[in-house]
Amino acid sequence: MLGELLRRTWAMTWKDVTVELRARERINAMLFFAALVLFIFNFALGPDRETLREVAPGLLWLAFLFTGMLGLGRSFQAERENECFEELLLTPGDRESIFFGKLAGNILFMVTAEALILPLFGILYNLDIWGLLPSLALVAFLGTVGFSAIGTLLAAMTAHLRAREVMLPLLLFPLTVPVILGSVRATEAILAGGGLTEVSHWLKLLGGFDVIFLVVCPLAFEFVLEE
Amino acid sequence: MGRGSLVARILGGAAGLLLATGLYLGLVVVPPDAVQGDVQRIMYVHVPSIVTAYIAFFVVFCTSILYLWKRDLRLDAVAVSSAEIGVVFTGITLATGMIWGKPTWGVWWTWDARLTLTAILFTIYVGYLMLRAFAEEPLAAARYGAVLAILGFLDIPLNHLAVYWWRTLHQPSSILRPGGPSVASAMLLPLAMNFAGLILLFAYFLVERVRLERIRHRTAEVRLTRGRRG
Amino acid sequence: MGNWGFVGLAYGLALVALVGYLVFLKGRLRGAGEGLAALERESGRRTR
Repeated sequence: MLGELLRRTWAMTWKDVTVELRARERINAMLFFAALVLFIFNFALGPDRETLREVAPGLLWLAFLFTGMLGLGRSFQAERENECFEELLLTPGDRESIFFGKLAGNILFMVTAEALILPLFGILYNLDIWGLLPSLALVAFLGTVGFSAIGTLLAAMTAHLRAREVMLPLLLFPLTVPVILGSVRATEAILAGGGLTEVSHWLKLLGGFDVIFLVVCPLAFEFVLEE
Repeated sequence: MGRGSLVARILGGAAGLLLATGLYLGLVVVPPDAVQGDVQRIMYVHVPSIVTAYIAFFVVFCTSILYLWKRDLRLDAVAVSSAEIGVVFTGITLATGMIWGKPTWGVWWTWDARLTLTAILFTIYVGYLMLRAFAEEPLAAARYGAVLAILGFLDIPLNHLAVYWWRTLHQPSSILRPGGPSVASAMLLPLAMNFAGLILLFAYFLVERVRLERIRHRTAEVRLTRGRRG
Repeated sequence: MGNWGFVGLAYGLALVALVGYLVFLKGRLRGAGEGLAALERESGRRTR
Protein backbone atom coordinates (compact mmCIF):
# COMPACT_ATOMS: atom_id res chain seq x y z
CA MET A 1 0.00 0.00 0.00
CA LEU A 2 2.51 2.56 1.19
CA GLY A 3 5.08 1.28 -1.26
CA GLU A 4 2.62 1.70 -4.09
CA LEU A 5 1.81 5.27 -3.01
CA LEU A 6 5.51 6.12 -2.84
CA ARG A 7 6.14 4.59 -6.27
CA ARG A 8 3.32 6.60 -7.89
CA THR A 9 4.35 9.77 -6.09
CA TRP A 10 7.86 9.31 -7.33
CA ALA A 11 6.62 8.80 -10.90
CA MET A 12 4.67 12.07 -10.72
CA THR A 13 7.61 14.00 -9.29
CA TRP A 14 9.99 12.47 -11.80
CA LYS A 15 7.69 13.51 -14.66
CA ASP A 16 7.68 17.12 -13.46
CA VAL A 17 11.41 17.20 -12.83
CA THR A 18 12.21 15.70 -16.25
CA VAL A 19 9.97 18.21 -18.01
CA GLU A 20 11.63 20.95 -16.00
CA LEU A 21 15.16 19.74 -16.75
CA ARG A 22 14.34 19.75 -20.46
CA ALA A 23 12.83 23.22 -20.63
CA ARG A 24 14.26 24.81 -17.44
CA GLU A 25 11.57 27.48 -17.72
CA ARG A 26 10.39 27.48 -14.17
CA ILE A 27 13.62 27.00 -12.27
CA ASN A 28 15.48 29.60 -14.36
CA ALA A 29 12.72 32.12 -13.81
CA MET A 30 12.69 31.39 -10.09
CA LEU A 31 16.45 31.70 -9.64
CA PHE A 32 16.68 34.91 -11.63
CA PHE A 33 13.69 36.37 -9.83
CA ALA A 34 15.21 35.48 -6.45
CA ALA A 35 18.46 37.25 -7.28
CA LEU A 36 16.52 40.24 -8.57
CA VAL A 37 14.44 40.45 -5.37
CA LEU A 38 17.61 40.65 -3.26
CA PHE A 39 18.87 43.50 -5.45
CA ILE A 40 15.57 45.39 -5.36
CA PHE A 41 15.39 45.21 -1.55
CA ASN A 42 18.77 46.86 -1.41
CA PHE A 43 17.57 49.76 -3.58
CA ALA A 44 14.34 50.08 -1.64
CA LEU A 45 15.99 50.19 1.78
CA GLY A 46 19.23 51.99 1.01
CA PRO A 47 22.76 50.78 1.62
CA ASP A 48 22.75 51.33 5.39
CA ARG A 49 24.11 48.07 6.80
CA GLU A 50 22.50 48.39 10.21
CA THR A 51 18.99 48.87 8.81
CA LEU A 52 19.48 45.97 6.44
CA ARG A 53 20.71 43.73 9.24
CA GLU A 54 17.65 44.52 11.32
CA VAL A 55 15.17 43.63 8.61
CA ALA A 56 17.26 40.78 7.19
CA PRO A 57 15.09 37.85 8.39
CA GLY A 58 11.98 39.42 6.90
CA LEU A 59 13.76 40.14 3.61
CA LEU A 60 15.11 36.62 3.40
CA TRP A 61 11.67 35.13 3.84
CA LEU A 62 10.02 37.54 1.44
CA ALA A 63 12.56 36.41 -1.16
CA PHE A 64 11.83 32.74 -0.33
CA LEU A 65 8.07 33.15 -0.40
CA PHE A 66 7.81 35.30 -3.53
CA THR A 67 10.09 32.93 -5.38
CA GLY A 68 8.10 29.96 -4.10
CA MET A 69 4.89 31.69 -5.18
CA LEU A 70 6.27 32.05 -8.70
CA GLY A 71 7.01 28.34 -8.88
CA LEU A 72 3.64 27.33 -7.42
CA GLY A 73 1.79 29.43 -9.95
CA ARG A 74 3.33 27.38 -12.74
CA SER A 75 3.00 23.98 -11.11
CA PHE A 76 -0.18 23.05 -12.98
CA GLN A 77 0.56 25.18 -16.02
CA ALA A 78 1.59 22.30 -18.29
CA GLU A 79 -1.56 20.35 -17.49
CA ARG A 80 -3.78 23.35 -18.04
CA GLU A 81 -2.18 24.55 -21.27
CA ASN A 82 -2.23 21.12 -22.87
CA GLU A 83 -5.65 20.40 -21.42
CA CYS A 84 -4.55 17.17 -19.86
CA PHE A 85 -6.09 17.61 -16.42
CA GLU A 86 -8.42 14.81 -17.49
CA GLU A 87 -5.49 12.57 -18.35
CA LEU A 88 -4.04 13.36 -14.95
CA LEU A 89 -7.28 12.11 -13.43
CA LEU A 90 -7.14 8.94 -15.51
CA THR A 91 -3.81 7.93 -14.05
CA PRO A 92 -4.38 4.76 -12.05
CA GLY A 93 -4.18 4.80 -8.29
CA ASP A 94 -5.08 7.29 -5.62
CA ARG A 95 -5.30 11.01 -6.17
CA GLU A 96 -3.07 11.39 -3.13
CA SER A 97 -0.10 10.25 -5.19
CA ILE A 98 -0.75 13.05 -7.69
CA PHE A 99 -0.84 15.56 -4.85
CA PHE A 100 2.28 14.26 -3.13
CA GLY A 101 4.08 14.06 -6.47
CA LYS A 102 3.28 17.66 -7.31
CA LEU A 103 4.10 18.73 -3.77
CA ALA A 104 7.49 17.01 -3.81
CA GLY A 105 8.30 18.75 -7.10
CA ASN A 106 7.28 22.13 -5.71
CA ILE A 107 9.31 21.64 -2.53
CA LEU A 108 12.30 20.57 -4.61
CA PHE A 109 12.15 23.68 -6.81
CA MET A 110 11.64 26.00 -3.85
CA VAL A 111 14.49 24.42 -1.88
CA THR A 112 16.77 24.73 -4.92
CA ALA A 113 15.96 28.44 -5.12
CA GLU A 114 16.52 28.83 -1.38
CA ALA A 115 19.89 27.12 -1.68
CA LEU A 116 20.90 29.89 -4.05
CA ILE A 117 19.23 32.76 -2.18
CA LEU A 118 20.75 31.95 1.22
CA PRO A 119 24.46 32.25 0.32
CA LEU A 120 23.79 35.15 -2.04
CA PHE A 121 21.94 36.86 0.78
CA GLY A 122 24.86 36.33 3.16
CA ILE A 123 27.28 37.82 0.65
CA LEU A 124 25.18 40.78 -0.53
CA TYR A 125 24.08 41.84 2.94
CA ASN A 126 27.38 41.00 4.60
CA LEU A 127 25.89 38.66 7.17
CA ASP A 128 27.89 35.95 8.85
CA ILE A 129 25.50 33.07 8.28
CA TRP A 130 27.91 30.28 7.43
CA GLY A 131 28.05 28.64 10.85
CA LEU A 132 24.30 28.93 11.21
CA LEU A 133 23.47 27.18 7.95
CA PRO A 134 22.22 23.89 9.46
CA SER A 135 19.75 25.65 11.79
CA LEU A 136 18.63 28.02 9.05
CA ALA A 137 18.17 25.10 6.66
CA LEU A 138 15.97 23.31 9.18
CA VAL A 139 13.71 26.36 9.60
CA ALA A 140 13.65 26.93 5.84
CA PHE A 141 12.68 23.32 5.21
CA LEU A 142 9.87 23.27 7.78
CA GLY A 143 8.51 26.56 6.45
CA THR A 144 8.80 25.45 2.84
CA VAL A 145 6.88 22.21 3.43
CA GLY A 146 3.90 23.98 5.03
CA PHE A 147 3.86 26.78 2.48
CA SER A 148 4.07 24.32 -0.43
CA ALA A 149 1.42 21.96 0.97
CA ILE A 150 -1.25 24.66 1.02
CA GLY A 151 0.26 26.24 -2.10
CA THR A 152 0.04 23.07 -4.19
CA LEU A 153 -3.60 22.59 -3.26
CA LEU A 154 -4.46 26.22 -4.01
CA ALA A 155 -2.49 26.13 -7.27
CA ALA A 156 -4.63 23.20 -8.43
CA MET A 157 -7.74 25.09 -7.39
CA THR A 158 -6.88 28.43 -8.97
CA ALA A 159 -5.62 26.79 -12.21
CA HIS A 160 -9.22 26.78 -13.45
CA LEU A 161 -10.11 30.29 -12.39
CA ARG A 162 -10.25 33.56 -14.22
CA ALA A 163 -7.59 35.88 -12.77
CA ARG A 164 -5.63 32.92 -11.42
CA GLU A 165 -2.38 34.87 -11.16
CA VAL A 166 -4.00 37.23 -8.66
CA MET A 167 -6.07 34.68 -6.78
CA LEU A 168 -3.22 32.35 -5.81
CA PRO A 169 -1.28 34.87 -3.65
CA LEU A 170 -4.53 36.38 -2.40
CA LEU A 171 -5.59 33.04 -0.93
CA LEU A 172 -2.17 31.66 -0.07
CA PHE A 173 -0.65 34.44 2.03
CA PRO A 174 -3.49 34.86 4.57
CA LEU A 175 -3.64 31.09 5.09
CA THR A 176 0.10 30.77 5.64
CA VAL A 177 0.46 33.54 8.22
CA PRO A 178 1.51 31.01 10.90
CA VAL A 179 4.27 29.71 8.60
CA ILE A 180 5.45 33.20 7.72
CA LEU A 181 5.45 34.41 11.34
CA GLY A 182 7.08 31.23 12.65
CA SER A 183 9.80 31.11 10.01
CA VAL A 184 10.68 34.79 10.21
CA ARG A 185 10.79 34.87 14.01
CA ALA A 186 12.83 31.68 14.21
CA THR A 187 15.25 32.98 11.57
CA GLU A 188 15.53 36.26 13.48
CA ALA A 189 16.43 34.48 16.70
CA ILE A 190 18.95 32.23 14.96
CA LEU A 191 20.64 35.16 13.19
CA ALA A 192 20.82 36.94 16.54
CA GLY A 193 22.83 34.02 17.85
CA GLY A 194 20.14 32.02 19.61
CA GLY A 195 20.35 28.25 19.41
CA LEU A 196 17.68 25.87 18.21
CA THR A 197 16.39 25.38 21.75
CA GLU A 198 15.54 29.06 21.93
CA VAL A 199 13.25 28.75 18.92
CA SER A 200 11.88 25.32 19.75
CA HIS A 201 8.33 26.66 20.22
CA TRP A 202 8.38 28.13 16.69
CA LEU A 203 9.79 24.88 15.30
CA LYS A 204 6.96 23.00 17.00
CA LEU A 205 4.42 25.38 15.49
CA LEU A 206 5.94 24.95 12.02
CA GLY A 207 6.06 21.18 12.47
CA GLY A 208 2.47 21.10 13.69
CA PHE A 209 1.33 23.21 10.75
CA ASP A 210 3.16 20.87 8.34
CA VAL A 211 1.63 17.74 9.85
CA ILE A 212 -1.93 19.14 9.88
CA PHE A 213 -1.85 20.30 6.29
CA LEU A 214 0.07 17.28 4.99
CA VAL A 215 -2.93 15.27 6.20
CA VAL A 216 -5.73 17.67 5.20
CA CYS A 217 -4.47 18.93 1.81
CA PRO A 218 -4.23 15.54 0.05
CA LEU A 219 -7.73 14.70 1.27
CA ALA A 220 -9.05 18.05 0.06
CA PHE A 221 -7.20 17.61 -3.25
CA GLU A 222 -9.67 14.91 -4.30
CA PHE A 223 -12.51 17.40 -4.14
CA VAL A 224 -10.57 19.97 -6.12
CA LEU A 225 -9.72 17.60 -8.97
CA GLU A 226 -13.08 15.94 -9.47
CA GLU A 227 -15.12 17.01 -12.47
CA MET B 1 -41.20 36.52 -3.11
CA GLY B 2 -41.46 40.17 -2.07
CA ARG B 3 -41.26 40.00 1.69
CA GLY B 4 -39.46 37.51 3.83
CA SER B 5 -41.08 34.57 5.56
CA LEU B 6 -42.77 34.81 8.93
CA VAL B 7 -39.68 33.34 10.62
CA ALA B 8 -37.49 35.96 9.00
CA ARG B 9 -39.76 38.78 10.08
CA ILE B 10 -39.88 37.53 13.66
CA LEU B 11 -36.09 37.17 13.76
CA GLY B 12 -35.60 40.64 12.30
CA GLY B 13 -38.10 42.23 14.66
CA ALA B 14 -36.66 40.55 17.75
CA ALA B 15 -33.13 41.53 16.72
CA GLY B 16 -34.20 45.13 16.25
CA LEU B 17 -35.92 45.26 19.66
CA LEU B 18 -32.97 43.72 21.50
CA LEU B 19 -30.44 45.96 19.77
CA ALA B 20 -32.48 49.08 20.51
CA THR B 21 -32.65 48.09 24.19
CA GLY B 22 -28.95 47.24 24.25
CA LEU B 23 -28.11 50.55 22.61
CA TYR B 24 -30.17 52.49 25.14
CA LEU B 25 -28.70 50.60 28.09
CA GLY B 26 -25.14 50.83 26.80
CA LEU B 27 -25.22 54.48 25.80
CA VAL B 28 -27.54 56.03 28.39
CA VAL B 29 -28.25 53.89 31.45
CA VAL B 30 -24.92 52.25 32.30
CA PRO B 31 -22.35 54.59 33.89
CA PRO B 32 -19.01 55.10 32.12
CA ASP B 33 -16.15 52.75 32.89
CA ALA B 34 -14.04 53.77 35.89
CA VAL B 35 -10.74 53.46 34.03
CA GLN B 36 -11.50 54.01 30.36
CA GLY B 37 -14.42 56.37 30.63
CA ASP B 38 -17.06 56.58 27.92
CA VAL B 39 -14.85 55.05 25.21
CA GLN B 40 -15.43 51.69 26.82
CA ARG B 41 -19.01 51.82 25.51
CA ILE B 42 -17.60 50.80 22.10
CA MET B 43 -17.05 47.35 23.61
CA TYR B 44 -20.80 46.75 23.68
CA VAL B 45 -20.69 46.61 19.88
CA HIS B 46 -17.15 45.38 19.32
CA VAL B 47 -17.20 42.23 21.45
CA PRO B 48 -20.62 40.87 20.37
CA SER B 49 -19.81 41.49 16.70
CA ILE B 50 -16.56 39.47 16.75
CA VAL B 51 -18.32 36.62 18.55
CA THR B 52 -21.07 36.71 15.92
CA ALA B 53 -18.44 36.67 13.17
CA TYR B 54 -16.83 33.57 14.69
CA ILE B 55 -20.25 31.90 14.89
CA ALA B 56 -20.80 32.76 11.22
CA PHE B 57 -17.46 31.24 10.19
CA PHE B 58 -18.15 28.16 12.28
CA VAL B 59 -21.42 27.76 10.36
CA VAL B 60 -19.42 28.08 7.10
CA PHE B 61 -17.04 25.37 8.30
CA CYS B 62 -19.79 22.91 9.28
CA THR B 63 -21.94 23.42 6.20
CA SER B 64 -18.85 23.14 3.97
CA ILE B 65 -17.94 19.74 5.41
CA LEU B 66 -21.57 18.64 5.11
CA TYR B 67 -21.71 19.89 1.53
CA LEU B 68 -18.68 17.83 0.48
CA TRP B 69 -20.30 14.84 2.12
CA LYS B 70 -23.97 15.19 1.05
CA ARG B 71 -23.56 17.28 -2.12
CA ASP B 72 -26.72 19.23 -1.40
CA LEU B 73 -26.52 22.74 -2.87
CA ARG B 74 -28.75 24.06 -0.11
CA LEU B 75 -25.89 23.43 2.32
CA ASP B 76 -23.56 25.37 0.07
CA ALA B 77 -26.09 28.21 -0.06
CA VAL B 78 -25.93 28.44 3.75
CA ALA B 79 -22.11 28.37 3.63
CA VAL B 80 -21.68 31.21 1.14
CA SER B 81 -24.40 33.28 2.83
CA SER B 82 -22.90 32.85 6.27
CA ALA B 83 -19.43 33.75 4.97
CA GLU B 84 -20.70 36.99 3.45
CA ILE B 85 -22.44 38.03 6.66
CA GLY B 86 -19.41 36.98 8.71
CA VAL B 87 -17.26 39.31 6.62
CA VAL B 88 -19.65 42.19 7.39
CA PHE B 89 -19.39 41.50 11.13
CA THR B 90 -15.61 41.12 10.94
CA GLY B 91 -15.47 44.48 9.17
CA ILE B 92 -17.52 46.07 11.96
CA THR B 93 -15.19 44.51 14.54
CA LEU B 94 -12.14 45.91 12.78
CA ALA B 95 -13.63 49.38 12.41
CA THR B 96 -14.84 49.63 16.02
CA GLY B 97 -11.55 48.19 17.27
CA MET B 98 -9.61 50.85 15.42
CA ILE B 99 -11.89 53.61 16.69
CA TRP B 100 -11.44 52.30 20.23
CA GLY B 101 -7.68 52.17 19.72
CA LYS B 102 -7.32 55.83 18.75
CA PRO B 103 -8.22 57.38 22.15
CA THR B 104 -6.83 54.39 24.07
CA TRP B 105 -3.45 53.85 22.42
CA GLY B 106 -3.23 57.11 20.50
CA VAL B 107 -3.10 55.37 17.10
CA TRP B 108 -5.74 54.05 14.74
CA TRP B 109 -3.87 50.86 14.14
CA THR B 110 -1.51 48.85 16.26
CA TRP B 111 -0.44 45.25 15.80
CA ASP B 112 -2.35 44.20 18.86
CA ALA B 113 -2.84 40.42 18.86
CA ARG B 114 -6.61 40.51 18.60
CA LEU B 115 -6.78 43.23 15.98
CA THR B 116 -4.17 41.38 13.92
CA LEU B 117 -6.09 38.11 14.17
CA THR B 118 -9.30 39.83 13.13
CA ALA B 119 -7.53 41.32 10.13
CA ILE B 120 -6.20 37.89 9.10
CA LEU B 121 -9.67 36.41 9.47
CA PHE B 122 -11.03 39.22 7.30
CA THR B 123 -8.52 38.58 4.50
CA ILE B 124 -9.15 34.82 4.52
CA TYR B 125 -12.90 35.16 4.12
CA VAL B 126 -12.76 38.02 1.64
CA GLY B 127 -10.51 35.67 -0.36
CA TYR B 128 -13.20 33.00 0.00
CA LEU B 129 -15.84 35.30 -1.47
CA MET B 130 -13.52 36.34 -4.31
CA LEU B 131 -12.66 32.72 -5.10
CA ARG B 132 -16.34 31.93 -5.46
CA ALA B 133 -16.92 34.98 -7.62
CA PHE B 134 -14.10 33.97 -9.98
CA ALA B 135 -15.08 30.30 -10.38
CA GLU B 136 -16.55 29.64 -13.80
CA GLU B 137 -19.26 27.16 -12.88
CA PRO B 138 -21.44 26.93 -9.76
CA LEU B 139 -20.51 23.38 -8.78
CA ALA B 140 -16.79 24.18 -8.94
CA ALA B 141 -17.41 27.33 -6.87
CA ALA B 142 -19.17 25.22 -4.25
CA ARG B 143 -16.39 22.61 -4.07
CA TYR B 144 -13.52 25.11 -4.06
CA GLY B 145 -15.34 27.25 -1.52
CA ALA B 146 -15.92 24.28 0.77
CA VAL B 147 -12.26 23.24 0.61
CA LEU B 148 -11.06 26.78 1.31
CA ALA B 149 -13.51 27.19 4.20
CA ILE B 150 -12.18 24.04 5.84
CA LEU B 151 -8.54 25.14 5.40
CA GLY B 152 -9.38 28.61 6.69
CA PHE B 153 -11.10 27.37 9.80
CA LEU B 154 -8.32 24.90 10.66
CA ASP B 155 -5.92 27.79 10.26
CA ILE B 156 -7.56 29.85 13.02
CA PRO B 157 -6.03 28.09 16.07
CA LEU B 158 -2.58 28.11 14.44
CA ASN B 159 -2.95 31.80 13.70
CA HIS B 160 -3.90 32.42 17.32
CA LEU B 161 -0.83 30.64 18.58
CA ALA B 162 1.52 32.36 16.15
CA VAL B 163 0.17 35.87 16.65
CA TYR B 164 0.07 35.60 20.45
CA TRP B 165 3.64 34.36 20.62
CA TRP B 166 4.73 37.05 18.23
CA ARG B 167 3.12 39.87 20.19
CA THR B 168 3.78 38.65 23.71
CA LEU B 169 7.46 37.98 23.08
CA HIS B 170 7.96 41.62 22.17
CA GLN B 171 5.64 43.50 24.48
CA PRO B 172 3.01 42.68 27.03
CA SER B 173 -0.09 41.94 25.01
CA SER B 174 -2.70 44.60 25.24
CA ILE B 175 -5.98 42.83 25.15
CA LEU B 176 -9.29 44.43 24.46
CA ARG B 177 -11.40 43.55 27.42
CA PRO B 178 -14.61 45.17 28.51
CA GLY B 179 -13.45 47.18 31.51
CA GLY B 180 -10.43 45.06 32.28
CA PRO B 181 -10.54 41.82 34.22
CA SER B 182 -13.49 42.75 36.41
CA VAL B 183 -16.62 43.32 34.38
CA ALA B 184 -19.10 45.25 36.47
CA SER B 185 -22.47 43.58 36.62
CA ALA B 186 -24.17 46.71 35.26
CA MET B 187 -22.12 46.31 32.10
CA LEU B 188 -23.18 42.73 31.58
CA LEU B 189 -26.77 43.64 30.72
CA PRO B 190 -26.16 45.81 27.62
CA LEU B 191 -23.45 43.37 26.55
CA ALA B 192 -25.85 40.42 26.81
CA MET B 193 -28.59 42.37 25.00
CA ASN B 194 -26.30 43.19 22.11
CA PHE B 195 -24.98 39.62 22.02
CA ALA B 196 -28.50 38.26 21.64
CA GLY B 197 -29.48 41.05 19.28
CA LEU B 198 -26.54 40.60 16.91
CA ILE B 199 -26.86 36.82 16.88
CA LEU B 200 -30.55 37.13 16.02
CA LEU B 201 -29.68 39.73 13.39
CA PHE B 202 -27.17 37.27 11.95
CA ALA B 203 -29.89 34.60 11.84
CA TYR B 204 -32.23 37.05 10.11
CA PHE B 205 -29.61 38.04 7.54
CA LEU B 206 -28.81 34.37 7.00
CA VAL B 207 -32.42 33.38 6.32
CA GLU B 208 -32.80 36.24 3.85
CA ARG B 209 -29.43 35.68 2.17
CA VAL B 210 -30.17 31.96 1.74
CA ARG B 211 -33.49 32.92 0.16
CA LEU B 212 -31.56 35.04 -2.35
CA GLU B 213 -29.35 32.06 -3.13
CA ARG B 214 -32.45 29.88 -3.65
CA ILE B 215 -33.92 32.40 -6.10
CA ARG B 216 -30.64 32.40 -7.99
CA HIS B 217 -30.56 28.59 -8.17
CA ARG B 218 -34.15 28.59 -9.37
CA THR B 219 -33.35 31.21 -12.03
CA ALA B 220 -30.43 29.14 -13.26
CA GLU B 221 -32.68 26.06 -13.44
CA VAL B 222 -35.39 27.86 -15.44
CA ARG B 223 -32.75 29.22 -17.81
CA LEU B 224 -31.34 25.74 -18.28
CA THR B 225 -34.67 24.07 -19.08
CA ARG B 226 -35.61 26.92 -21.40
CA GLY B 227 -32.27 26.63 -23.15
CA ARG B 228 -32.85 22.93 -23.65
CA ARG B 229 -36.33 23.48 -25.16
CA GLY B 230 -35.37 26.42 -27.33
CA MET C 1 -12.52 64.52 19.20
CA GLY C 2 -13.87 63.81 22.66
CA ASN C 3 -14.66 60.41 24.07
CA TRP C 4 -18.26 60.65 22.94
CA GLY C 5 -17.07 61.53 19.46
CA PHE C 6 -15.31 58.19 19.21
CA VAL C 7 -18.29 56.38 20.67
CA GLY C 8 -20.58 58.09 18.16
CA LEU C 9 -18.24 57.26 15.30
CA ALA C 10 -18.08 53.59 16.29
CA TYR C 11 -21.81 53.17 16.79
CA GLY C 12 -22.53 55.20 13.66
CA LEU C 13 -20.22 53.11 11.50
CA ALA C 14 -21.64 49.86 12.86
CA LEU C 15 -25.17 51.08 12.21
CA VAL C 16 -24.34 52.22 8.68
CA ALA C 17 -22.69 48.84 7.95
CA LEU C 18 -25.62 46.80 9.23
CA VAL C 19 -28.36 48.93 7.68
CA GLY C 20 -26.33 49.23 4.49
CA TYR C 21 -26.00 45.47 4.27
CA LEU C 22 -29.73 45.04 4.88
CA VAL C 23 -30.60 47.51 2.10
CA PHE C 24 -28.08 45.86 -0.25
CA LEU C 25 -29.52 42.42 0.55
CA LYS C 26 -33.12 43.56 0.04
CA GLY C 27 -32.18 45.21 -3.23
CA ARG C 28 -30.56 42.03 -4.52
CA LEU C 29 -33.55 39.99 -3.36
CA ARG C 30 -35.94 42.26 -5.22
CA GLY C 31 -33.83 42.23 -8.37
CA ALA C 32 -33.41 38.45 -8.36
CA GLY C 33 -37.11 37.89 -7.56
CA GLU C 34 -38.25 40.14 -10.41
CA GLY C 35 -35.82 38.50 -12.81
CA LEU C 36 -37.07 35.05 -11.90
CA ALA C 37 -40.72 36.09 -12.16
CA ALA C 38 -40.17 37.55 -15.63
CA LEU C 39 -38.31 34.45 -16.72
CA GLU C 40 -41.04 32.14 -15.45
CA ARG C 41 -43.79 34.16 -17.13
CA GLU C 42 -41.90 34.11 -20.39
CA SER C 43 -41.11 30.41 -20.37
CA GLY C 44 -44.67 29.63 -19.25
CA ARG C 45 -46.00 31.46 -22.30
CA ARG C 46 -43.67 29.60 -24.56
CA THR C 47 -44.67 26.12 -23.38
CA ARG C 48 -48.35 26.90 -23.81
